[in-house]
Amino acid sequence: MDNAKEIKQGIKVHQIDTNKFKTNLFAVFLSVPLKRETITKNALITAVLRRGTNDMPSQQQISEKLEEMYGANFDCGIEKTGDSHTLKFYLEAINDEFLPEKENLLKESIDILFDIIFNPLVENGKFKEEYVQGEKQNLKQIIESKIDNKASYALERCIEEMYKNKPYGLYKYGYIEDIEKISSQDLYNHYIDLIKNCKIDIFISGASLNNVIDIIQNNEQIKKLNDRTPENIESDVTKEKIEEPKYIEESMQIAQGKIVIGLDILSEQEDVYYVGSVYNTILGGGSNSKLFQNVREKASLAYTCSSSYIKRKKNIIIRAGIEISNYDKAIEIIKQQLEDMKNGNFNDEDIENAKKLLISSIDSIDEEQDTEITYYLGQELGKTNISINEYKEKIQQVNKEQILELAKTIQINTIYFLKD
Amino acid sequence: MKIIESSKIKEKAYIEKLESGLTIIIVPKQGTKKKYVIWGTHFGSIDNKFIEPNTNEEVVVPDGIAHFLEHKMFEQKSGINSLDTLMALGVDANAYTTNDHTAYLFESTDNFYEALDELMDYVQNPYYTDENVEKEKGIIGQEIKMYDDDPGWQLYMNALDCLYKENPIKIDVAGSVESISGINKELLYKCYNTFYNPANMVLVVSGDFKPEEILEEIKSRLIPKEVHGEIKRFYPEREVEINKKHKETEMEVSKPLFMIGFKDINKAQSSEEAIKKHIAIEILLNMLCGKSSKLYKKMYDEGVLLSQPDLDYEFTDLYAHVLISGQSNEPQKFQDEFNKTIKEYKENFDENYFNRIKKKVYGDYVCEYNNIADVARMFLADYFKGLNAFDYIEQYDTVTPEYTKQILTEVFDEKNEIMSIVNPK
Repeated sequence: MDNAKEIKQGIKVHQIDTNKFKTNLFAVFLSVPLKRETITKNALITAVLRRGTNDMPSQQQISEKLEEMYGANFDCGIEKTGDSHTLKFYLEAINDEFLPEKENLLKESIDILFDIIFNPLVENGKFKEEYVQGEKQNLKQIIESKIDNKASYALERCIEEMYKNKPYGLYKYGYIEDIEKISSQDLYNHYIDLIKNCKIDIFISGASLNNVIDIIQNNEQIKKLNDRTPENIESDVTKEKIEEPKYIEESMQIAQGKIVIGLDILSEQEDVYYVGSVYNTILGGGSNSKLFQNVREKASLAYTCSSSYIKRKKNIIIRAGIEISNYDKAIEIIKQQLEDMKNGNFNDEDIENAKKLLISSIDSIDEEQDTEITYYLGQELGKTNISINEYKEKIQQVNKEQILELAKTIQINTIYFLKD
Repeated sequence: MKIIESSKIKEKAYIEKLESGLTIIIVPKQGTKKKYVIWGTHFGSIDNKFIEPNTNEEVVVPDGIAHFLEHKMFEQKSGINSLDTLMALGVDANAYTTNDHTAYLFESTDNFYEALDELMDYVQNPYYTDENVEKEKGIIGQEIKMYDDDPGWQLYMNALDCLYKENPIKIDVAGSVESISGINKELLYKCYNTFYNPANMVLVVSGDFKPEEILEEIKSRLIPKEVHGEIKRFYPEREVEINKKHKETEMEVSKPLFMIGFKDINKAQSSEEAIKKHIAIEILLNMLCGKSSKLYKKMYDEGVLLSQPDLDYEFTDLYAHVLISGQSNEPQKFQDEFNKTIKEYKENFDENYFNRIKKKVYGDYVCEYNNIADVARMFLADYFKGLNAFDYIEQYDTVTPEYTKQILTEVFDEKNEIMSIVNPK
């Protein structure tokens, strides 16, 4: 269970007590609205921060320190969650109980993590020039490598087309044309601004965390942070009715074609969030879903065909990898499944099966530390604060009428096809 | 039941070998909601030539048949696919094939015994028809094509091609569109009857179980089968030489992918030795190009590497090799620097550094016990190698700097080094 405590205005500590694991996991999330002007800078900041702190000025020194702590793992990244852009920092360390010798890794882990985020190496009033230049090159390459994984590239492109000129259509790593223009000073100024104003969520998951809030509150870096009123990061879910879906085709030298179809949920019923989950699971959630059964098992057109649900944006994304010449056939079958859903061609058993699948995955949330943290972060950012048990109940309560109502409001927004 | 224990990480495993030859491993984990079961057979893509126990005939089967058979196990006489039945129970079910084994598994938080009924029923009751075998060829054809577009997979297959002249590990697990076209129901039954015999299988469960109870539950679901002896399989001799030094190909990627390989030509003489060597190699790989290594710092600062390379050691009785892979605009430069570092370490082995990395490797092993699914899969994969997963924790103390230095000289030999590269078009 997530016990949240606001230690300063806009800064929350979430403590998850669990003794299921051999490790403690610490996470810090800095959240701001997704914006075209700041997206590349945010991505770059995450990368620069891991390069060094005032006390451990190089990545090598940080790594040495972590290795001494029985291979504590530091990780960072950047994520889009609805319309928020979140800089993520993690540190995982073995619980003291399983160390061959007595040591206190808990406090040490917390100190290191905060040090990396809030006490970066500063030279002449800005980030170290060499680190910024190096990370600019790296970020450029990360953005360029978008094409390497064809399936995720196709997905990314479809979302970009669906949300053209809107925050959610932005690429989480930003844009190459921005990179050149960012100086070390600009980036540092942006960092100071970010740290002063962003929403901060600190998570700790593990065993024997009795005095962890004290440790956090007494940390020098935390003491320095000010109260803040973070900008609104709620997701925009307004949808427009469209006459015809957008058709996009692109070519690359590939052996298998990738179809990505973006759907809008126009329904505004009260529990649309949960009804959408059940609808999506019946449509393409598992091997007994309509898409898997009809595209793969019956028509033998694909190895993978499934759909996923972007709750925060009220979208469903269908994906399939097919023989390029089978495009028309595959689209026809997929569209037929959407029609079938609209016409109520699913029964109580389908609904029950979908619910079981969803509940089983909800039951598994607290069986992995990062999954549980991600769940509560999602609740925090969406301001929903639904506990895992309430979430299960909400799914249980979904009925056929609600699903049917939702099915009738589904519109195809974009059909994207990557071919050779 | 035999009990093995790791006092350091406070875990136990219960092992029982039944009269039928089936081995059952139970790793209890109190307080978890998730239960995980995995049933594996010692039959993978490398098993393409063997003696059929019933007829004593030598059989050669098409490449990719173990994987094909895995796909077809879910099909039931009733027309209902077992995967659908399992999904309908709300459990997360799957199957996979590797080069040395095939496994069927599910993970559940509820309906565990109903799901166990289904799993144990479908694995023990094959149902192949001409029609359902033909239909699968289209699906697997698309699976193969998905891998054709995967630069990482092509990179790996080319590295294996460099490392081995003739070794069935070079065969793609899924086979090729041509090879699977030769698969029919008779061949599938032949493979099933040979390899899906209890004596060739192991079942691992992990979760909040009482060992005696779950053992009885499993036993009550077993169908009696004729006991086979060991299956005679034909593999080529372990070669001591590599096939070629270098292989490059072009694909649609943003920048080159590289994979450096070292063929480990000395087969470990015992399971203890295999584990010790594995630990030593993990330490060495981290010392050579891990996050705190001088080499990684240099390569990162110069923009040759963007992130730490992936480090791997793969081994069975049939093959063993080290793999170092990543993405770089200058793969050749990385290789040169890597080789230079090996030479330096051979001359001057830093024991403090060794001790620090050894601590890290210990932490990595402990972390593996966070997830019951990882634990069960680890026990299964290690079983087919004749090992048990706790041995890694137990053998850890025996790995000394001297021994590790000896492995460095033995395994990281330029003579046995290869390079595979996927270049952008």
